[in-house]
Amino acid sequence: MPLIIKDEYPEKLFREDGKRLDGRDKHELRPIKMEVGVLKNADGSAYLEWGNNKIFCAVYGPRDVHPHYLAKPDKGILRVFYRMATFSVFDRKRPAPGRREKEISMVLGDCLEPLLFLELYPGNSFEVFINVMDADGGTRCACVTAAALALADAGVPMRSLVTAVAVGKIDGELVTDLSGIEDKAGDADLPCAITWFNEEISLLQFDGSMDLKEFDEVLTLAKNALIKIHEIQLNTLKNKYIAIQEEYSGGENKK
Amino acid sequence: MENEEDESIEETTTDNDEGEEIAEFDGEEISREVVVPGEVLTEDTKNFLPGRGTILNKDRTKIISLNIGLKQINKNYINVIPLKGFYTPRAGDKVIALVTDKNPVKYRLDINAKDEGILKPKNTVKRNRTRGFRGGGSDSAAPSTDKYQIGDILIVKVLSADRLNQPELTTVGQYLGKRRDGIVISINPPKIPRVIGRNGSMIKMLKNLTKSNIFVTQNGRIWLKGENIAYERLLIDAIKKIEREAHTVGLTDRISEYIDNEKKIRGIN
Amino acid sequence: MMNTKRVISTIEKNYILNNLRKEERIDGRGLWEYRDWTVKPDVITSAEGSADVTLGDTRIITGLKYDVGTPFPDLPEEGVCTFMAELLPLASPIFERGPPSEQSIELARVVDRGIRHADCVQTKKLCIKANKAVYILFVDLYVINYSGNLIDVGGISSLTTLISSHIPEGKWVDDQIEWTGKYLTGETIVNELPIVTTYGKIGDVIFLDPTLPEELVCDGKISISVTEDKIVSIQKSGLATFSLEEINMLTKKSMEMGKKLRKELNLWQYKVKI
Repeated sequence: MPLIIKDEYPEKLFREDGKRLDGRDKHELRPIKMEVGVLKNADGSAYLEWGNNKIFCAVYGPRDVHPHYLAKPDKGILRVFYRMATFSVFDRKRPAPGRREKEISMVLGDCLEPLLFLELYPGNSFEVFINVMDADGGTRCACVTAAALALADAGVPMRSLVTAVAVGKIDGELVTDLSGIEDKAGDADLPCAITWFNEEISLLQFDGSMDLKEFDEVLTLAKNALIKIHEIQLNTLKNKYIAIQEEYSGGENKK
Repeated sequence: MENEEDESIEETTTDNDEGEEIAEFDGEEISREVVVPGEVLTEDTKNFLPGRGTILNKDRTKIISLNIGLKQINKNYINVIPLKGFYTPRAGDKVIALVTDKNPVKYRLDINAKDEGILKPKNTVKRNRTRGFRGGGSDSAAPSTDKYQIGDILIVKVLSADRLNQPELTTVGQYLGKRRDGIVISINPPKIPRVIGRNGSMIKMLKNLTKSNIFVTQNGRIWLKGENIAYERLLIDAIKKIEREAHTVGLTDRISEYIDNEKKIRGIN
Repeated sequence: MMNTKRVISTIEKNYILNNLRKEERIDGRGLWEYRDWTVKPDVITSAEGSADVTLGDTRIITGLKYDVGTPFPDLPEEGVCTFMAELLPLASPIFERGPPSEQSIELARVVDRGIRHADCVQTKKLCIKANKAVYILFVDLYVINYSGNLIDVGGISSLTTLISSHIPEGKWVDDQIEWTGKYLTGETIVNELPIVTTYGKIGDVIFLDPTLPEELVCDGKISISVTEDKIVSIQKSGLATFSLEEINMLTKKSMEMGKKLRKELNLWQYKVKI
């Protein structure tokens, strides 16, 4: 029996007043909230709320590789497991990991690996588990951003953080940070990530259609947004420690 | 073999001899500036060299942090003292280990490092001890793995450790061997120096104030045994507080104050 | 206490047992005390009901999705409510990836049985048209951090999810479903609140709410679900055996704890108003 209530797409993605359906300007980001060290058992962890996206990320490692044949004698391996909760999307997702999840896991792994010094950990693995509990567009970007935080929180030596955002085109206009509905009903969607140590793109996917001029422009939009998000990442990591220092800054004066 | 069970570790109030390598956390030249991976520490590469936890960028124009940690300038080296991380074994380290597996030729020990440690039976008995006739029987010459059981907590010394091989361990030496009671807790390994304090000051204070025995090791594990559970609970809470506030100043005084206060609140003395 | 792997040390085992004999626990609790609870309802936007529940460091996020399907032939007027649990590898180094483990299936089954036999979910209210269309509810539990006693947290988490649920209401018109624009809420769907309490047993000592180290060293566990006046389901797991007196004592205790938790957590406050 088919479901009758459908995830219906609106005809227009801009309101009369020129704002987007959720009230944002064209280049405004959704509210972003980040936390690190949220999961006690993990070596490093992060929680990210990006609009309605809610994502947990945990890092374990360096540790033994299971199954053992995956271990490489000359370097460590990074394994990323991206999973979505059954209730994170409109129609209940099947519990077993699907093709989409496997592909995104691989893409995320390729994006994160250049940051690490895996040659220092031959025969070992780092495992990054990312669970999307609530999804509303741009989850892979949110996952990259959260995974970078979790790796840093674990104390894994890394060249820099990595930050990601999705930009795209809706109703013929270029916009930043696509929401779920804009992603599905829009014209083009471009998730991309920057590794900050060389300021180069380490994740790039594109679906839709755009001319060359637009494509050039949209990458600049992405860069601007990424700088803002990177700032939030840095502050999140530092504030965990600075807040405790400030609690006792009185002690410093005494000394 | 029964009668030579390590008498040396029985109920000793062990002093850590690791004070000297610990000073870095307490050093005067440490700034309290928290840095994160990728952060530029300096662009003055003429006067400064990249030290621990840092790297030069490709063009050799900037020194960059690899860790979340505290920035430290030591002469002309810039270091980052990590605030979180994992334990890397080095030869000579004494660490608390858990026997997780054994077979007739070796024990496997969890030492909270990326690889399990290997303890060979020949490294569990003192050598050069003549027994009975010179040469002995062939069966007494090969020690077996009967001495320790899976689940035992051992204090071991790292004999050798490198990037490629599993670390090799020994239980022969002062303070080394099996622990029969007490409890082991874990904290993040980079915070261990703070639990020891400069020249062992923190650890001495903890021992005195909570009337407990403590043995702290570099792999983030702390063995402790108090007069009663109330003291042990207080000690664990104090250690957790040290772990949380490891990067602040005036820690020793604050912890001592905390313990005194808590004693009153909890009604123990 | 030590970062938890599969093997727990002998001294920790002895330490826990010796202290339990003296009615002491390292976290300062008595034998019949819970760790602290926090309950957050309706945390997931995409779900038709959800909860984020923690007990000490154990944390479970549960969400509810619905589908419409044909009823079972022998129960033509009743909807279906199913439970699934996943022990995410992110929650503990001892959880592995792959198909559901015994432990996750046990968690889902024990929570399911507690709720099924308690007149909790009003399955008759989940019927749109007899023999044709009923709601199928999927309550999915995700363990986010594992620190012992998943079953009690799973129980409270599932109840909160059901209470905070809001499912589009459908009517059967001209042989198909028409959505009224109204919602079926937890108030309609849920009746009794069964509370499940889990006890560990080491040697001859029994205690409430085992933590992870306690769970790893204990001989066995028993989980008892109760409504306000009835026992509805029991699960004994592990190798421990319980005497009749002990079971009688525990069922009484569960009634007591059930009353206490029902009052303290006051789960009905989480029903949504639409």
